[in-house]
Amino acid sequence: MDRETVERVARTAHIKLTEEEIQRYGDDLTEILTYFELLDEAPESDERGINPVEIADVLRDDEPRMDIDSDVLLRGMDTYEGYVRGPRLS
Amino acid sequence: MSMKSTLENLESVNSKYFMFHAKTSDTDPGDAKFLFSAKDNLTSKDMETCAGSRILEGYFPAFDATAIAKMREAGGKLIGKTNMDEFGFGTFSTNSGFEVPRNPYDLERACGGSSGGSACAAAVFEDHVSLGVSTGGSICCPASFCGVYGIAPTYGRVSRYGLIDYGNSLDKIGVLSARAGDLRKYINVIAGRDERDPTSCVQPELRNEGRRMRSVAVPREGVEGLSKDVESAFNAALDELRRMGIEVEMVDMPSLKYAMPAYYVLATSEASTNLARYVGMRYGHQDGDYSLKFDDFFSDVRSRYFGDEAKRRILLGTFTRMAGYSDRYYSKARQVRQVVIQDYKRVLKDHDAVLAPTMPFTAPRFDDISKMSALDNYKADYLTVPANIAGTPHMSVPCGYGSDGMPIGMQFVADHWDEDVLFTMAEEWDKEFEIRKPEVSA
Amino acid sequence: MKIGLEIHVQLPTKSKMFCSCPTTEAPGPNTHVCPTCLGMPGSRPVLNRKVLEYGIMLAKLLGCRVNDTVWFSRKTYFYPDMSKSVQITQYDNPIGEGGVYYLNGKKPIRITRIHVEEDPGKTKRVGDLSSLVDYNRSGIPLAEIVTEPDISTPAEAREFLGQLIQDIRCVIDIPGDGERSIRCDCNISVGKERVEVKNVTGLKNVERALTYEVVRQTKVLKAGGKIDRETRRFDEERGVTISVRKKEFEADYGYIDEPDLGIYHIKEMAESIRIRESPQKMTARIAGQYGIDQKMAKQLVNTSVELAELFETVAGRHGTQNAVKWVAGPVSSNWKALETSGADVNGVMGIIDRFAAGEITDTECGIEIKCLMTGEDIESAKGAAGDLDKIVSDYLDQNPGIIDDYRKNEKAANKAIGFVMKNSGGSYSSAEVVEAVKRLIESRM
Repeated sequence: MDRETVERVARTAHIKLTEEEIQRYGDDLTEILTYFELLDEAPESDERGINPVEIADVLRDDEPRMDIDSDVLLRGMDTYEGYVRGPRLS
Repeated sequence: MSMKSTLENLESVNSKYFMFHAKTSDTDPGDAKFLFSAKDNLTSKDMETCAGSRILEGYFPAFDATAIAKMREAGGKLIGKTNMDEFGFGTFSTNSGFEVPRNPYDLERACGGSSGGSACAAAVFEDHVSLGVSTGGSICCPASFCGVYGIAPTYGRVSRYGLIDYGNSLDKIGVLSARAGDLRKYINVIAGRDERDPTSCVQPELRNEGRRMRSVAVPREGVEGLSKDVESAFNAALDELRRMGIEVEMVDMPSLKYAMPAYYVLATSEASTNLARYVGMRYGHQDGDYSLKFDDFFSDVRSRYFGDEAKRRILLGTFTRMAGYSDRYYSKARQVRQVVIQDYKRVLKDHDAVLAPTMPFTAPRFDDISKMSALDNYKADYLTVPANIAGTPHMSVPCGYGSDGMPIGMQFVADHWDEDVLFTMAEEWDKEFEIRKPEVSA
Repeated sequence: MKIGLEIHVQLPTKSKMFCSCPTTEAPGPNTHVCPTCLGMPGSRPVLNRKVLEYGIMLAKLLGCRVNDTVWFSRKTYFYPDMSKSVQITQYDNPIGEGGVYYLNGKKPIRITRIHVEEDPGKTKRVGDLSSLVDYNRSGIPLAEIVTEPDISTPAEAREFLGQLIQDIRCVIDIPGDGERSIRCDCNISVGKERVEVKNVTGLKNVERALTYEVVRQTKVLKAGGKIDRETRRFDEERGVTISVRKKEFEADYGYIDEPDLGIYHIKEMAESIRIRESPQKMTARIAGQYGIDQKMAKQLVNTSVELAELFETVAGRHGTQNAVKWVAGPVSSNWKALETSGADVNGVMGIIDRFAAGEITDTECGIEIKCLMTGEDIESAKGAAGDLDKIVSDYLDQNPGIIDDYRKNEKAANKAIGFVMKNSGGSYSSAEVVEAVKRLIESRM
């Protein structure tokens, strides 16, 4: 995996890499992906198989319900007047 | 050991083996019927839950995982949350953001992973059972290294509500214990449909008929690359099985060699989306630099608190599902999963289980592990990964000891929803095979 | 110029898409939240059945092919109000694909697809520049309707959205401020490159944003410049679009399947769901089926679907001519009065039946219908109507040319209407006068 790709992947994944890490992860991923070329020769299948066993048609009725008090959920969060604090948008 | 003495010694035993990330300070079992521990990626109301990651430090969930809630309802007392590889990313529990559990047979060696703390606790504490989680072999591998029984049931058998996700199409909650009978007993406690996890809602009833295994298939692909110790212990175990009247047949399962790359592609693709939520807001560390714009704020927190292997798997998984690469990796891996399932179904038409050693070697020393490359680590999983990608129930049972005195395990894989045949096998094997208990001192 | 829209419509469920939190007005920020919509570790989505049902209804409304099996995908991107940094949406096999919508009953706007997905929370900025997030909206179900670039002008985009919302409203119960709360991503290309203006709220702003883009892109092209493929946002206050991302920095969403939900076989569900005909379709059908003017059909349907249905019943029993004469005439002009008087519209049928059987005269029929609908006294109405009819008739006697003019252009009636309004001293409503003039002209034709 070339340097440019490592940087692009890291940017997409929101991981900041040091110079040393770019090199190291780049080498590791190259070695791993080379091994994964094995997949190219593997047989194909027409089945979608989102899960290993078929999970189908599990639905919930449209009934509002709240099990846990929102105060309890917000207890460990950095909040301000009930809002959850986050970083600036611009 | 009584429950009370287990609780009283918890602190001192843990300071030697480091199996727990969080643990109870109670020394009185009260009216508890049994003690249990749970891997730290299962949420618990009364104990910090970090899934082995520093990014979740300080997270006290508002709800119990269904598996933990069911154990409590059955009279269990939760004694601790066990150390693990960060989010399950590892084969030796050395990728923990906290303490690394030590093998009860040799403190210089690993417990296996990623449910290493659970296997360690299962080996050390009698009258105790531990809940583990398997994504690619994280129950059977440490069970094998620590000389205990471990079972990962069929995908969807146990509700994953409250499980901190690694790979949602792969994760399974199971049981580790030094007692063979615990597998049936406690899978029966935690199994069942749960409206809060749709993937648990299609399962047929868990059978407890005591159906005996009559024949096992040993894939040629599963006995390659074994250490001498593992090979001879496994061969001795096969002889024992034959003596018990079980037919043993060698078979070919050509798809198995594709399972490892397919597993790592699926698991890391899913993991990289699951871990996207850890950005320094809402839970865990919330000490980001507010002078930064959100993209930089998130990247900064994630880079600070994710460990080395977590970053590697996030990068790998982000790449394998990226536009332009996704067809070659993610989509192909999904197809390979179907091919592996078909291969198991074919063999399990004529056999009750597929059998191979659980791990190709015994628990390695920590200094040897540090010399392994990332790919070496992934390759070590080639025996446990196929059953995991197929979602088939699988179980590791202790079957011998190496020349180094370290335990060796073998892994039975049954058809979807057929845990009964595995439970029965464990119960019968237990009559034939005697576990050498580790010498435990606090 | 080519314009395509991605339209987000909020679905009126009682609980959220993947958790049971209520969708009603919350008492405060982050009060209608749970582990699932907060994206807490260990939580899981469970799909609300109603979301699939509404999705199927909209797919049918838009003439889409409903897929037999559907599933969900994870779209990964980082933003403070996206609690999991993952949006559960549909990528391949959405609920509906390949539909078409006829603007004004004529111009086809192709519908690429319709899928359902969850809404993120809401972020507001504060003084110290950090953001404050309210996750009450997180997990509210949305349908996204994607059109082909078949729209020709910004005004047409607005017209299309207006009709679409009206149609959607007669199938599902979208909020009263649906027109203002509707959110669109607008794709527009004046030259070759496509520009996307993200997240524009409300019909008026869609037209404004697109108009701004037309002017901007035309200017760039005229000056010999090149349009960049990019994402822009619309600044409502200043009425301008602003570049936010060039193509090469576009987010890589890395779609994968959502394994926590599995798949859904919706063939049977889709077959069991029937939707009411949309106003646009009903207008087109009535005009074609009964050979009446598109304008008249539209007026009937827009006044009330019930009125249009009555038109069809009368046409079925007594022919189109009677339906036009009575339903599109006095029944239509007194429809508002009926809504206040609360009278039973079925009574009208009996009156028209009697007219058709020759039991009552033209004039009597008109008066009875009016009285039934307004609750007015028949005798006094007869007197007043007699007076009105007399004024009109006298005028037509003196100006017989109007009949011929009216044949060519209905506007010819305006002369007579104006005269009668002026000379009756305001004793009759304009609707009454219009009705009487038209009826009497038509009876002389």
